[in-house]
Amino acid sequence: MSERLAKSIFWVGTLSSLVVFLAMTVHTHRNFAALTHAEALDDKVVAGKHAFERHNCNDCHTILGFGAYYAPDLTRAYARLGEDGVRRRLESPEVVFASSYRKMPQQHLSPTEVEDLVAFLAWVSRIDNHDWPPQDSPHRWQRSTERALASAALSPAAALVQQENCLACHALGTGGGSVGPRLEWIGARRDVDYIARYIANPEAVSHGSRMPAFPHLSEGQRLMIGEFVVSLATDRSTP
Amino acid sequence: MTYRSQRVAYPYFVVALLLFALQVVMGLWVGLQYVLTVPQSVVDVFPFATSRAMHTNLLVLWMLLGFMGATYYLVPEEAESELAWPRLAIFQLVLLVGTGVAALVGFLFGWTQGRPLLEIPTTLDFLVVAGALIFLANVGVTLWRARRWNVLQGALLGGLVFLAVMYLFGMPFYPNLAMDWYYWWWVIHLWVEGAWELITAAMAAFMLLKLTGVDRKVVEKWLYVELGLFLFTGIAGTGHHYYWLGAPKAWLLVGGAFSALEPFPILLMLYDTWRSTREHGRSLAPGLTWLYLGGMAVLHFVGAGLFGFAHTLPQINYYTHGSQVTVSHGHLAFFGAYALLNLSFFYFAIPRLKGLPEGRYDERAGRWGFWLMTLGILGMSLAFAVAGVLQTYLERIRGEPFMVAQAPMRFWMLIVVLHGLLVVAGVVVTVKHLLTLGPERTSARPAAELQAIGVGAGASS
Repeated sequence: MSERLAKSIFWVGTLSSLVVFLAMTVHTHRNFAALTHAEALDDKVVAGKHAFERHNCNDCHTILGFGAYYAPDLTRAYARLGEDGVRRRLESPEVVFASSYRKMPQQHLSPTEVEDLVAFLAWVSRIDNHDWPPQDSPHRWQRSTERALASAALSPAAALVQQENCLACHALGTGGGSVGPRLEWIGARRDVDYIARYIANPEAVSHGSRMPAFPHLSEGQRLMIGEFVVSLATDRSTP
Repeated sequence: MTYRSQRVAYPYFVVALLLFALQVVMGLWVGLQYVLTVPQSVVDVFPFATSRAMHTNLLVLWMLLGFMGATYYLVPEEAESELAWPRLAIFQLVLLVGTGVAALVGFLFGWTQGRPLLEIPTTLDFLVVAGALIFLANVGVTLWRARRWNVLQGALLGGLVFLAVMYLFGMPFYPNLAMDWYYWWWVIHLWVEGAWELITAAMAAFMLLKLTGVDRKVVEKWLYVELGLFLFTGIAGTGHHYYWLGAPKAWLLVGGAFSALEPFPILLMLYDTWRSTREHGRSLAPGLTWLYLGGMAVLHFVGAGLFGFAHTLPQINYYTHGSQVTVSHGHLAFFGAYALLNLSFFYFAIPRLKGLPEGRYDERAGRWGFWLMTLGILGMSLAFAVAGVLQTYLERIRGEPFMVAQAPMRFWMLIVVLHGLLVVAGVVVTVKHLLTLGPERTSARPAAELQAIGVGAGASS
């Protein structure tokens, strides 16, 4: 190989890659607003991002898959935990993770910071990033819950969930509210007994919970709801 | 060493080595937090986030100081003239180390920019920029005055300017998180798969030239080809970080295609190292320096090339992104490519700075250091990889919640920490050895005996 050829390999290689990269950067900037819902990026969200950085959240958590890998990814945390779930973790991590083998620091956030962070995570959860991460993919939630809901007409537990209006706060499949955690997600990490006790008296199980108690339900009915919620999780194991 | 001003490199090497030791000790604590249940009272005061920020920033600081010291050693010899301002180089070291120490102490009190690897607060960023400008001015003016340009200096200076310019993209506050990460990678990716590769190629070529006496023309020709391939795959290859951050879907194609080619330039570098050890007529001495150069060429390829390729395609990355698989690749690649590069250069330059005859030195403790570190990091990366595969399967494919998936991973993090002990031991031995390098004890030992115990194995003379 001549030195001339070597030099041209260098220049052609470098410049062609640079041209592709810069063209893609322009293309990306043209699409960012639509993909990230930039119109919803208000002062509160920006204040939330400032708080997110001030408290170095990203050196334990990942977000969009980037950061440290010590704590759960936050890309869809809002969709997974609901507003109340996010808020409670921010306000009193020492209570929420009291029995966990991994803790979250109590950072004494101001009420404004908490609200800003909730707004920030709500905005992040809507970023169109080609359905990542897989474990929080709405498509997968939908597929698994469609099957569960198909039999709902026959299931007394599903009828109870409807009658007690659980979905006003909790998400299930593609519907439901975003105040409490999503039902499939609860089902994946809690057992029937825990859920039944929680429904009877949320405050007794998790101090500071904003969920109302359901003392009018019988023990049997509460266990039935618990079984229903846990059953939602097992269906998810098939991708 | 032929020029007096090359001596400014030594304090850079000393500080870099001490920070390296501190980095791995902190790494041990970072790993332990995966294994143990740290009580809330400790977590509130010294959370994982702080220890991780220290672990990673120490890495960046010691490696950059190593590169800078190496540059100050290399430039006078290549330019055949003294450095423009040797005292300024010492001032620059004090400035950068002061900034680094302020940043590390600041982290303990929550003073942070809060962005992984770029945690240094903006105020201190300006001091870093000042230090970088002083450095570039010193090197630039030296080369300019000498007017002896060659591709080796070009690659080195080009890499250093590239490095400094990219740092600027990490400084502003970006209101949009997706755009923030888009430009974060201009710093991180274009450093490690762009600017740092240029510096590596230049430093490695310099050492090969000096150690083997191979034809300079040949080395320079291959340097052009290597650099061209590095930049061709590396620049557009940044796209492999843009799959899932809210950027257009075209990145899946561009990022996947370009980054899939990234192992090739590293393979070429490995071949290049092997070829220059074969073609020249002298024996490969000192043996330990060659062990480092060979180790770097091999582990650079395995850690950056193979482990990187394993999860660079979007079809795989969809499941492995942001898991311990990334951590496994990160540790082996940084060690194989950049830790071993710096240490190779230290083993090359320090004996010469100390005026040991022919750059020979007493190698024994250093060999222990090399193997402890290397086997430790290899074992650690494999354990991270097992943890990562578990996480990928349990969390990403089965859809188990994060903490449920983490439970069986804790055992593998224990294996990581145990290998971390080997690494810490190896680093302590290596640092001590490098700081107390002495003349060869048995310089009169006959060559045949050296051959018999494996020193200089492969020498064809």
